[in-house]
Amino acid sequence: MADADEAAIHSSSTPSTQEDTDLDDETQDFRILNNLTFARILTGTSLSDPSNASLPRRGEKDFEPNPTLHQADILSASRNAMHNALAHPRLHFPKARIIAVYSPDGPTPPPAPKNPEPSSQETGSETPARGPKKGTGIVIHPDACAYVINPKGQHFKSLGQADSWGRVWLLPEEALYLLERGTLDIRWPCSMTGEDGEGPSELPMSLQAAYTCFIGRDGLTVERFSVFSGLRRLGYVVSRAPGWYDSEEEVTGAVQARQWPSINGLFGKFWDWFYSSNSTATGPVAGLGIHRSYNDIFRKLAIIPWYDPVTPKPPQRTTPPFRVVYHIYKPSTTFKKTAPPPPDFRVAVINAQTQPTIPTLSQLGALLESTPLDPPRGEKMSRLLYMRLRHGYRNVVLAIVDHGVVSYLRMGDAAFGKERIYDKGGLNGPKKGGHLHPKGNGR
Amino acid sequence: MASDPSSILPTASVAPAPSPKAESSRDNGRPARQPRPPKPNYKHIYRFPLPLSVHPLPPLIPHNPLSIVSVILSYMTFFISSPSHEVYSAYFDSNTSSVHVTDEKAVRALWEMGFFGKGNLSRSEPSWLEREKKRRGLLGGNTSEDLTSARRSERRGLKLERARTERKIIEERLKAEAAARANGAVPLDSSSPSLPPSENGATGNTTPSTEKFSLRKARQGKSLGSQHSEGQDQGYNASDSVSETKMINGGKTVRFSPVVQEKEFVSESTTLHLPDPSLNENDAGEEPSLKNEEHLQLSNEEAFFLVYGLGALQIFDDKRSTVIPAPSLFSLLRQHSYFPPRESPTALELDDPFIISYAVYHHFRSLGWIVRSGVKFGVDYLLYNRGPVFSHAEFAVVVIPSYDNPYWSETEERRDRSARKQARSWWWLHCVNRVQAQVKKSLVVCYVEVPPPLSDAQANAEHDVGALLAQYRVREISLRRWVPNRTRD
Repeated sequence: MADADEAAIHSSSTPSTQEDTDLDDETQDFRILNNLTFARILTGTSLSDPSNASLPRRGEKDFEPNPTLHQADILSASRNAMHNALAHPRLHFPKARIIAVYSPDGPTPPPAPKNPEPSSQETGSETPARGPKKGTGIVIHPDACAYVINPKGQHFKSLGQADSWGRVWLLPEEALYLLERGTLDIRWPCSMTGEDGEGPSELPMSLQAAYTCFIGRDGLTVERFSVFSGLRRLGYVVSRAPGWYDSEEEVTGAVQARQWPSINGLFGKFWDWFYSSNSTATGPVAGLGIHRSYNDIFRKLAIIPWYDPVTPKPPQRTTPPFRVVYHIYKPSTTFKKTAPPPPDFRVAVINAQTQPTIPTLSQLGALLESTPLDPPRGEKMSRLLYMRLRHGYRNVVLAIVDHGVVSYLRMGDAAFGKERIYDKGGLNGPKKGGHLHPKGNGR
Repeated sequence: MASDPSSILPTASVAPAPSPKAESSRDNGRPARQPRPPKPNYKHIYRFPLPLSVHPLPPLIPHNPLSIVSVILSYMTFFISSPSHEVYSAYFDSNTSSVHVTDEKAVRALWEMGFFGKGNLSRSEPSWLEREKKRRGLLGGNTSEDLTSARRSERRGLKLERARTERKIIEERLKAEAAARANGAVPLDSSSPSLPPSENGATGNTTPSTEKFSLRKARQGKSLGSQHSEGQDQGYNASDSVSETKMINGGKTVRFSPVVQEKEFVSESTTLHLPDPSLNENDAGEEPSLKNEEHLQLSNEEAFFLVYGLGALQIFDDKRSTVIPAPSLFSLLRQHSYFPPRESPTALELDDPFIISYAVYHHFRSLGWIVRSGVKFGVDYLLYNRGPVFSHAEFAVVVIPSYDNPYWSETEERRDRSARKQARSWWWLHCVNRVQAQVKKSLVVCYVEVPPPLSDAQANAEHDVGALLAQYRVREISLRRWVPNRTRD
């Protein structure tokens, strides 16, 4: 379509509309990889060396092969760079080596004879049941399946749970994520390798073995792991939500106080009775008499019922996969492991292969119902109508994973019925709506 | 007397001086554009949101007895001579399943008060007559279609120019490479993988700056060239100066195929030349009998809203003899929402496409939105705040029926049917969403809950359109892509 085409060209020429182009969507230019010299990483000097601190520049794009050598050179350089990067050995840095032990049976207390000071703990080791308790009452997540003996570094601020022996227990996705980024060295336990003694053996777990052990364990699917690791790499803090297990029900949405059948509703019913007496049967709905104002006409026209997200409703059952699986915190949110703040986003993970259709209204409704009410607030929202409508009253993020490609969609309960734009006087001019970006050419 | 010429002269010599200065300064700032004709007063033309007239009561002020008198007076006048209610007429064409308005006055009224319908020979506002008059040289000014086509042809020219420049660059590079080879210089072995990474590493810096050519730059270059009026190759000049700014930006640049663009240009430019002057002169002779060949076409939802919702329209049947009452029009339009139209009114179902789409249309209209077809953007509706002449549509609405009522999942057959009717794939959703993002609109998925069949008591009142429509409930879900990179802080 010509208009859309023009709009696209238009937008690419104005820098303010750049936000709609996603860098991740572009074909990668691997030559930028050459700017990172791998030797330096090996020697341990930091990458952010000020003398060489420049962001890699993006290459240019040709849409057609042409017979010039120049183009062929660029292409082969790019290919070489990619091969170089792929051929580079991924190593653990000896300086910051963190060793973890795989614990296939879930959280267990340390073996009694090796425990240095069992007497100081009142619980001691006589409670070897699943999920041993710390003195302070922190329960280790029963799905945790690896523990770190010497936890140090940034990651443990937001990953893992410490038990009373100073060990940090990791969930499968956390362990796998850390292993894959080269931070963690997971050892097989002696009980599995057949070595003598207890605790860690000398045998490290390979990446392949880690995938085999952790994926599929306690509801961790590949889709969920790719969402976890993708968001984690971007700096978000990701934690499991109560909806992780298919059997469990979320109860967050039901906490709202019961309200009266709402005066509004009663009044509305009276209003309906008053107005709809007989004019809606054959029309005209607006009535035949003299109209006193346009607002009256619009009010009479409102005969189609609409969903109001604010009125309390009995909680519905969410159906997997349409339930919140992760709570996500922005990097700027201060996150405490012991007392996590309310999440910034709630994410449901969907495998587009097993669930090829978009949710039905009841599935989506139950999912939205399970999130707390988040009405549009703030000075900007109250001023900008369009922003209010886009924000909605409840919201949830769907992560649709299709063969490993994750696309996120934010769904909001818009409730257009709450904004009577005829009432707000359309005479304020077109600027009132809050155009965040200059429009394209589409009318 | 002697003082007179001296007093006049200086002023005369001074007076013309500033004007060229002003012109030149204006030229430097921007490429001079011819002044636009003044815009019509849209606020006045489109001041009525609906094709109904309102008669507000004078304000009632309790402590002012005169105001009471004026209120009573206005009631009296309405009682004695009630203002006539304007009802426009249209007809339903069953062959095309569409509603047409041919009366000139009705066409203008329906367009200006609420933006109903579309000119069948125009993009939206019926402007064929005006365009035709202009084409024959009877009128000045530009219609929006003219502006668009002018913009497009300008853009096409720029694209062609860009393609030409790019081809030139490629040719020159080829020539240079051939010369290098002839000179016996070290042949650039492109396939050898032994090139040290440090050399190909800094891509942008070592390679001869490849001139890129965007449309904006082309336009800049053009204005630059016209300013200096140099006899040089304009495009080359511009691209040189601009490639440096590009370096700083570091943004993405896209190179278009020179061949395809040109082909497109050639083929379209020939069609553009169609109205040739000789034809024009012939027409000028018989010009007085210029008849408006255009009519306003209302979508079925619009037509029913005007009839049933507002009572501002009456629709005649095919023979244009009798007016179709609203309930029969309702079932007629429902029959015609299938293709081929269903013959008997008994074959109607609760999820007829018309009833679903009308519920959404009526809902948004009753909230004050201007609702127009979104077929251009692959959606069902576009929502305008006050109307297309004031601002672009912000919301694009997709309608999906929803079968949540337990009735629809009682039997296997019903379950299959409803699953089939409400299923949409993720691919489809991503497609629609990406298109809307490209044209800067927000996507809204509008679910309509389909009620179970009416009980017998309700079925008796089948002709109660309002009761039927009140069974449908709409829910809007606003949807947009969430890009984690952008919401981090």
